[in-house]
Amino acid sequence: MTYLVNRLLSVALTLLLISLITFMVTNILPGDVAMVIMGTQSNPEALAGLRESLGLNDPLIVQYGRWIIGLLTGDWGNSLVFKEAIGPLIADKVVASSLIVIMSMAIALTCAVPLGVWAAVHRDKWQDNTASTTALFGVSLPDFFFGIMLILLFARYLGWLPSSGFVHPADDFLGAVRHAFLPSLALGLGLMAHLTRMTRSTMMSVLGQDFIRMARAKGLRERTVIWRCALANAIGPVMTVAGLQVGYLFGSIIVIESLFNFTGMGWLTYQALLNRDIPLIQSTVFVIAAVVMLTNLIVDLLYTLVDPRIKLS
Amino acid sequence: MKRREFLKSTTAIMGAVVMTGAPLAVAAEEPVRGGTLIWGHSETTQNLDMHQTGTASTGRLLQNVHESIVSADADFNIIPNLAASFAQSDDGLTYTFTLRDDVVFHNGSKMTSADVKYSFERVMNPETGAVNFEVFNAVKSIETPDDLTVVVTLGSVNAPFLSRLAENGAGVVMPAGTGDIQGETPIGAGPFKFVRREFGNEVELERFDDYFGGPAYLDKVISREITEPTVRLTGLRTGELHMINDIPLDRMSEFEGNDDFQTVAWFPLNWDFVNFNHTFEPFKDARVREAFDLMIDKETLMLGALWGQGSTSASPSFPTSASYNDAISQRPQDFEKAKALLQEAGYGPGDLKIVFKVTTNYPYHVDSAQIMLEWFRAGGVDMTIEQLTWSDWLSQVWVDKDFQVTMMNFFTLWEPDFLYYSLYHSTGGFNYRKISEPALDEMLEKARVTVDNGARMAIYKDVQKYINENTLDVILWFRNGTIGAQPNVMGLDSVVQPNGSEMNFHKVWLKS
Amino acid sequence: MMRFLTGKGVFGGSILLLVIATALFAPLLVPETWATQMDMRARLSGPTFAHPLGTDQLGRDLMYRMLLGAQTSIMIAGTAVLMSLVIGLPLGVISGYFGGWIDNVLMRLVDTLLAFPALLLALTISAVLGPNLTNTIIAIGIAFTPYLARIIRGEALRVAQMPYVEAARSLGTSHTKMILRHILPNIMPPIIVQATISLAFAILAEAGLSFLGLGTQPPDASWGLMIQASRDYLDIAPWTALVPGAAVAITVLGLNIFGDVLRDVLDPRIA
Repeated sequence: MTYLVNRLLSVALTLLLISLITFMVTNILPGDVAMVIMGTQSNPEALAGLRESLGLNDPLIVQYGRWIIGLLTGDWGNSLVFKEAIGPLIADKVVASSLIVIMSMAIALTCAVPLGVWAAVHRDKWQDNTASTTALFGVSLPDFFFGIMLILLFARYLGWLPSSGFVHPADDFLGAVRHAFLPSLALGLGLMAHLTRMTRSTMMSVLGQDFIRMARAKGLRERTVIWRCALANAIGPVMTVAGLQVGYLFGSIIVIESLFNFTGMGWLTYQALLNRDIPLIQSTVFVIAAVVMLTNLIVDLLYTLVDPRIKLS
Repeated sequence: MKRREFLKSTTAIMGAVVMTGAPLAVAAEEPVRGGTLIWGHSETTQNLDMHQTGTASTGRLLQNVHESIVSADADFNIIPNLAASFAQSDDGLTYTFTLRDDVVFHNGSKMTSADVKYSFERVMNPETGAVNFEVFNAVKSIETPDDLTVVVTLGSVNAPFLSRLAENGAGVVMPAGTGDIQGETPIGAGPFKFVRREFGNEVELERFDDYFGGPAYLDKVISREITEPTVRLTGLRTGELHMINDIPLDRMSEFEGNDDFQTVAWFPLNWDFVNFNHTFEPFKDARVREAFDLMIDKETLMLGALWGQGSTSASPSFPTSASYNDAISQRPQDFEKAKALLQEAGYGPGDLKIVFKVTTNYPYHVDSAQIMLEWFRAGGVDMTIEQLTWSDWLSQVWVDKDFQVTMMNFFTLWEPDFLYYSLYHSTGGFNYRKISEPALDEMLEKARVTVDNGARMAIYKDVQKYINENTLDVILWFRNGTIGAQPNVMGLDSVVQPNGSEMNFHKVWLKS
Repeated sequence: MMRFLTGKGVFGGSILLLVIATALFAPLLVPETWATQMDMRARLSGPTFAHPLGTDQLGRDLMYRMLLGAQTSIMIAGTAVLMSLVIGLPLGVISGYFGGWIDNVLMRLVDTLLAFPALLLALTISAVLGPNLTNTIIAIGIAFTPYLARIIRGEALRVAQMPYVEAARSLGTSHTKMILRHILPNIMPPIIVQATISLAFAILAEAGLSFLGLGTQPPDASWGLMIQASRDYLDIAPWTALVPGAAVAITVLGLNIFGDVLRDVLDPRIA
């Protein structure tokens, strides 16, 4: 129990630090949003007035305080270019991004686990070499490059899937999956490669352990040994790594969502950065960092639940 | 294509709309009502307040929502629109507008002279931050003797007053009191009602059944903002989009003569120029500016960056308008002369280190800059390129004037006062190059009070000569506008309007 | 040394040697101007005798651009990783060696930074500093520092608890001497492995930044910038993307394979 309390306290402290770093970084961004709002009709007097009314002239500490209090009380302010309340805007985009993050995770795990097991079982044979080489290519290919190739193949030449846009699952579930498929695949490739390597090495170390030899000696069928006994023990670390990759995915969605015009968190963050929408940048960056950190926390906690050998310390 | 041939083929479509791929036999078909048109828009719309906005991307969409007091025909004669008729007093100081009595706004209220007065005063008020506020500079009073009459009295002659009302949103009438909400939810009297916008992604318009010009055919227009040309093109090919504007320039040849798609091309969409910062020490010297001009081979640059989809010009005046000066010409590329001029100005090879700021908002500007960089380097100038996002370009170049060389495009304006005064007068709203030429200021001010149109146009021809001789900017070319559409999109010939606005969907319909 | 000579090791090593040789010698053999020379009559041309790998939208030879781009990409990635090592090494060593509150404070900071995806951090920093070569290096370098610091700290902690280090400590050896003599030499192998892998990620990050327009500036050739420029011409000239894409993939592949082998050799605990 004290572990949990300590852990939560440390999360709260880290969140505060995250907010501070986010705020500092966004406040030294060049260009300002008053300019973006006024565009080509900007002139110094009008800009000065607008800056004043947006509170951009207040001391930084005041602006930071205002922001933090807003974050805590649920008033996240308004996006300066989207002209919408930031809270609901982000909530909306998180749903979109969750769709491709979950789908890419599903794609990656369904491919990576069998491939990794297959490679581990046939260690150093052609099967292993094939799987390992494929995985190596996977981690070596830039995801946006892979995304471009997918657009060309599936949208342009085959015409099977849409190349851009987001459809809300509540409106049209099949349409949502179709639109999310290519970006998920582009995201999932690198992840799959990574998880294949992870599954392979974990399986190898599990297969070398005594209880596997014992199971074999007891006359269990090889399939049972591998898929029941060994994989059950190897899946924990693989899932942990998968959970930790959420951070990597949230980095990649910036490029991938922009490429596919998929209006999720990554797209929103990139729009905010491009347009110097400082309140929005602050909130999106903060939310992404917080999501990454909370996922790591959940993975940690789940791990201790699943694997009682890990002491809560 | 040789230069002469090329010019011939573009003159053929000057100021005109050229369509290909559309079978002519269907021209007589009866339009049907209904359907949602999905348009892949090439740019992101910004501030939706038509009085304030200066960007072509936003105006393109909003002209479906708004109507102007007057409009222009293909020869740039001013014609009635929201005003059923208008009259100008002999001294040029009083304008009387008689309004139509069948105009209804999207909020259900009927248009009266009070709305016109409100709109004009709103544009006039410097606090509104309207691009066109100077149109009303000379206005002394706006009176509304009755519900359908508006009398505008000027304190001094402002020759371009009426024609500027027909162009670029200056004469747009909004319902009285709606100014504060126009930026997010525009309300006008146009054929389509604004429904919603998700910034940077999608705008939805809906047919307005009480439109005074008769209801449009389409139920809805959805504008999806897709800035990536390849994605836009793929969307059109796969049928996700009914039409796209701005077919990537290098791809026009694939579409022309392809019966699976219709294309519309018109000329000119906009014009481009290379800018010098006139307060940057080397560029204060006209010889240095001329030397840079001499290093640019405009025709090759146009073929390189626009893939031939444009036409070079020494003047930014609308090519078919009365103010166009065809007596001036661009300087041919001449490195020897350029180097000599630089030497004369005190800059030997390698002495000048210049940064060329270019916005990624226009990919062909990035290509242009790369081509020019080769020439500038060949001419002994040490140049580097800095790519800026649109918002950074606006902040660094447009507002802070922190640049040495840059490049920009403007939409073509047929009213020369707007064009030259805002860009070249030392107090002009678009004078981000900090040009300050007393002789030029004098000419521009004189043109404003010259009532005789012939004499006024003659002054603008001198203005163009002055800009050219002193190389205030390097005027490059006019660029073609393009639309690609599915074969079932009908009425595309009405999409480009004579007053220069594009993407008007009033007469567009979808064949089932 | 012999342990490098597995099939995998030779393969990875030779790819790496090839890429490094290209980065080093291409600028000596190929004049810089060849990468920016335009040929308006041969734009988006497929592979021909004159242009073995085709040309881009301005008629520039893709082979020369790829060869000269190697230098830019490798230089940016290499300097960025070096930078994150220079910052991360002292941070990690001090944190791991001294432990206590220093460790707490430093690692809290590092953990916080780790919550920001590296690309997001690099993107934001690049937007703050403005796009040019130096700033791209700084952005990637800063973004990678927490990862390296974390790993170095773990290693330093492990080594600091070794019996021989404890012994040296009880003899009253100074901290500086302890770190230089005992800690650093023993944490080097895993750091070298990690740096190799980071290098692979840095090349991908440079490509990603340039792809979004915030990295290398034209007309300089870098692989990411080449991929960015190819976006508009993909369906008519796929080679404009394939050439730089393959260059990135092969280099990163070489680095990853080499990193794997290095790990097997230098750090047998993990294998």
